[in-house]
Amino acid sequence: MRKYAVPIFIVAVLILPFLYLPALSAAGEWKHPSLLPVSWTSGHWKRLFAAHGGIMPVVTVSFLLSGIVALLTTAAGFLLGRLLAGDPGRRQIQAVGYLAYAFSPVIYAYCLQFFFLKAGIGGTFPGVLIVQFLLFFPFSVIYFISYWGRNMMALEELCFTLGASRRAAWMQALLPVSAPALRTAFFQIFVFSWFDFGLTQVIGQGRVSTLSLTVWQYMAEGDPYIAAAGSCLLLLPPAILMLMNEKNIRFRP
Amino acid sequence: MKIKVDNISVSRSGQQVLNGLSFELQEGHILSVMGKSGCGKTTLLRVIAGLVTTENGTVAIGGRDVTEVPPQERGAVYLYQEPLLFPHLNVLENLAFGLKIRGENKKSSEDKAFDMLEQLDLAAHANKRSEQLSGGQRQRVAFGRALLVSPAVLLLDEPFSNLDSETRTAMQQLYRKMAHEREITTIFVTHDLKEAVIMGTRLSYMDEGRLLVYNDLKSFSADTRTGMQREIGFWQSFDRK
Repeated sequence: MRKYAVPIFIVAVLILPFLYLPALSAAGEWKHPSLLPVSWTSGHWKRLFAAHGGIMPVVTVSFLLSGIVALLTTAAGFLLGRLLAGDPGRRQIQAVGYLAYAFSPVIYAYCLQFFFLKAGIGGTFPGVLIVQFLLFFPFSVIYFISYWGRNMMALEELCFTLGASRRAAWMQALLPVSAPALRTAFFQIFVFSWFDFGLTQVIGQGRVSTLSLTVWQYMAEGDPYIAAAGSCLLLLPPAILMLMNEKNIRFRP
Repeated sequence: MKIKVDNISVSRSGQQVLNGLSFELQEGHILSVMGKSGCGKTTLLRVIAGLVTTENGTVAIGGRDVTEVPPQERGAVYLYQEPLLFPHLNVLENLAFGLKIRGENKKSSEDKAFDMLEQLDLAAHANKRSEQLSGGQRQRVAFGRALLVSPAVLLLDEPFSNLDSETRTAMQQLYRKMAHEREITTIFVTHDLKEAVIMGTRLSYMDEGRLLVYNDLKSFSADTRTGMQREIGFWQSFDRK
């Protein structure tokens, strides 16, 4: 039993937040010093789905926003990586990509806010989508410039000399070969976008409600139970994506 | 098929890599190309494959001028130093890849691929992924995949350089046998003098962007640039001891 003590402790620490949040969201009465709630209720979850017109429209907006941003930035980064493959200036472009992360996303959003207001897209879904694209596209560029190295170019050339058209080379070789890298990039960007708070708050001006903003709002209102229920929903898609992508993120010593 | 390269030139970053290079190779021959690193051997193969554009001159395969023809339509398969198998496919699917993308149906292409696997003595590995094979096995699959599409020309860029001595010898014998049976015209780039002599039915040396093709082993040996005399001297020094 002793030899399992350390691993059990580590696992317990890692999964504690994932146990605590569902417990809090279903806690009827939870008073100090009880380790577990004294009673259980589904009332907080019912309130979550009923309050302010229900949580589902907000979840839908979050899904659409993160899905579209992840899809567009992953596809654009992948194609740009291919376009720049072999280009002597690609390392410089990659270095420029890091500039987007040189300062805080909120400050970045404030810098852009003026232009978004002038363009009439401040406080709109397209506005938030564009600002998230601007922030996460550089990540995709940095990632895929490294990905499109000599080996990928050699694979493409091999397809051509074996007789493949450009379309066949992409559909039957390059895209299937790149599927793990594309999945990883999509997953990462989806998660960045899903949990984004600052950009959406500043450019969305409170008119674009995402799940992370709504959960924050519940916390600000001093309602920890409904905030915990919202947090469970917030954790759900990344957890599913993580399980789907488990093969790619598994540590191999 | 016969290859005829006439007066091709390529420069890169202001440096002349190929400089009015010309040569001819008859059908079914294997031309071994030697030369210092960076002398343009790989560029020559890439020009013939259509992966690099020549600034002037022409490339003809089987009497057809292919200078402006895209790589897909040249019938010249270029094999790299690394075997480059597709990681998402198993060994059999890798072999059948070239046939499938040319429109051959799954059954027929996989039947032909399986025949090739048997010839390559790899039938037991048909369902394995490339990472489960040794370097020599991967290189055999890459060869088989190239041979299955019946190329007019095979362009081999130091294909055995990463293999151990024993596997290398086995691969040299296998390739010579298969190229001879199928009468495939081949250009074989290597840094290994012994390999150049074993593999080539013709021998050549690239220097200053031009290719000198020797009439026979004697004239190749007589040219001090090829390093043949140095090699012979090295082995003779043991006799004297």
